[in-house]
Amino acid sequence: MTGYTTGVLLLVIIFVLVYFGLAHRVLDRLYLSDRAALALIVAMIIGSFINIPITSGRVVTSVNVGGGLIPLGLAIYVLYRAGTAWEVSRALLGAVITAAVLSGISILTRGREAWNVYGLSLLDPLYYYPLIAGVVAYLVGRSRRAAFVGAILGVLLLDLVDLFYYLSRGLRGTVAFGGAGIIDVTFMAAVVAVLLAEFIGEARERIQGGPKADGRPRSLLAGLRGASLKPLPDNKKDNGGEQGE
Amino acid sequence: MVSALALVAIFTFQESRKVATTRVFSLKNLLMSQTHTEGEYSILVDEQGRILDMMARRIYINDEFIAADNHRYKVIRVEGNRAICREIGIEQLSRGEEKVVVPSQAVAPVQAEGTQVIGIYHSHDDESYVPTQGAESIPGRGGILKVGTAFANRLRSLGLTVIDDQTSHAPHDDAAYRRSRRTAVGLLQKGAAAIFDLHRDGVPDPSFYRRNINDQDVTMVRLVVGRENQNMSANLDFAKRLKAAADSRYPGLIRGIFIGAGSYNQDLSPRALLMEVGTYTNTLPEAERGATLFADIVPPVLGVAARPTAARTSSTAADWKGVLFVILAVILGGGAFLIVSTGSWDKAVSRLKQFTSIEWINLLGWRRARRPVMPREEGREPDNQKEMVKYVKKPAPESSSNNEERADWQKD
Repeated sequence: MTGYTTGVLLLVIIFVLVYFGLAHRVLDRLYLSDRAALALIVAMIIGSFINIPITSGRVVTSVNVGGGLIPLGLAIYVLYRAGTAWEVSRALLGAVITAAVLSGISILTRGREAWNVYGLSLLDPLYYYPLIAGVVAYLVGRSRRAAFVGAILGVLLLDLVDLFYYLSRGLRGTVAFGGAGIIDVTFMAAVVAVLLAEFIGEARERIQGGPKADGRPRSLLAGLRGASLKPLPDNKKDNGGEQGE
Repeated sequence: MVSALALVAIFTFQESRKVATTRVFSLKNLLMSQTHTEGEYSILVDEQGRILDMMARRIYINDEFIAADNHRYKVIRVEGNRAICREIGIEQLSRGEEKVVVPSQAVAPVQAEGTQVIGIYHSHDDESYVPTQGAESIPGRGGILKVGTAFANRLRSLGLTVIDDQTSHAPHDDAAYRRSRRTAVGLLQKGAAAIFDLHRDGVPDPSFYRRNINDQDVTMVRLVVGRENQNMSANLDFAKRLKAAADSRYPGLIRGIFIGAGSYNQDLSPRALLMEVGTYTNTLPEAERGATLFADIVPPVLGVAARPTAARTSSTAADWKGVLFVILAVILGGGAFLIVSTGSWDKAVSRLKQFTSIEWINLLGWRRARRPVMPREEGREPDNQKEMVKYVKKPAPESSSNNEERADWQKD
């Protein structure tokens, strides 16, 4: 970064502020307090410069602390806090499907960079990764947290697929899990995926005129504003509900 | 969900079926074929049908390019693999406060303050040159790596520090940029002032990229700028200055500057460029010579020259444009999100006011709210009593009631 002066530096700072601001907002949603979210972001930034080598030789692997370990830890923490096994498996299913769809696209684009499939090179992979992760996570997991877990584990799964590719074909290669740190596709995809899931969810609820109230357990509805709760008839019991989204 | 995925798949297949002039789409072909066929390329024509340029990438509406003669064109229509372009201006590349002065001979410069570091990498390290190597793609050991070495060696002889990263990012697909992003960030962390991603084109005609400069056959170089990131203006400016320098020293070396869809990891730095050195039907020595000539004009543009006062790359209007773009994007995007999530303009405004007051208290208020919220013993002064009441009202940030402050737009 030597040799930069004001305009260039400002450009970098603005991008940084916006990205970290969004990342902070996203981490807020994941069972973390404001300060914990901020601390994690700082940890990820510092960790972006720390690469832990795993193997060397023909196939070199490493994991980046800020871009791989910490997001992985976060994903596991979110899964742990999810509460029900159904929620956990839904999030994991989202991750597998995200990885499968992105792998499929990679295979389709093999050789000529999406020449065969119109429109894929219109959007840079940097953007369609989080878009797909966000949409898949929303469709499968219906929650921001599933979006987060799906994006992180999905991209890490893709890196594992790459690893098998190198090992099975005897090619030289490098797999750096989260190698670019906090600006690696892993975490960027997670941030945008959560925001996208939130945006889709909000827009959908706005369009349908408010959150769906039928069939929801009372404890969930109690948190809503407005009169969506009808008084219980005498013989009904509130069995509680699964962990909220 | 399954039906949604099926719809996406059907839509994608339909789209490619529409493109009749490129090869017929066949699922079996796609999945089974491992060798990529160079030779699928786009032709850029003007509105009279004259061929302006050719390149082995898909072209989209709103792509632009600056031709060798500095005419700038914008793609207005795409028909199959033909892109019809309209001229939108002529670039004045050598005007401006920073006229690039290129020494007429390659002089090893006096060490300017802050020796600049250049990073070189290859997102598609398999790309090779058929006449010399017999294949267009050699996974893990492509000819493009040797071109990178030639480029790096020349830059080093001119006094720059060069990190020539030959990490393999195989397989050659879209995800190569996800892998090379890590390489690029590594270069930047090591202090690279500019990063170059070296590729080669896939146009079948070798003479299209061949040029005779100083009595030698060399390949031309095309510069590619991705327009899908905030650094687009800054990177384009960098490319234009490189072209200006090359045009004055080695006229005809630069094939042009293409501004296309994609980001190519150029969001990582305002001095990041993708270079296409020749095409797969040129020879490897030609490509190495082309890259070497290009290396001659990089140091002056970056500001390392045989002048003791030369030092830093200066900021340009393009950088400020990038800043403005990002700020605008945040305001518009954030505003749109706010209105959608709160439902109305008034609520959005009050949410914004809430943001500026309560959010920061949540973040920074822990210091004050640490005092006990239980009523104090008698004997305290009335002012403390008042303070006590005030503090009790503030929410304790560690408790889960924290989130209720934002219950308005956090449905969890």
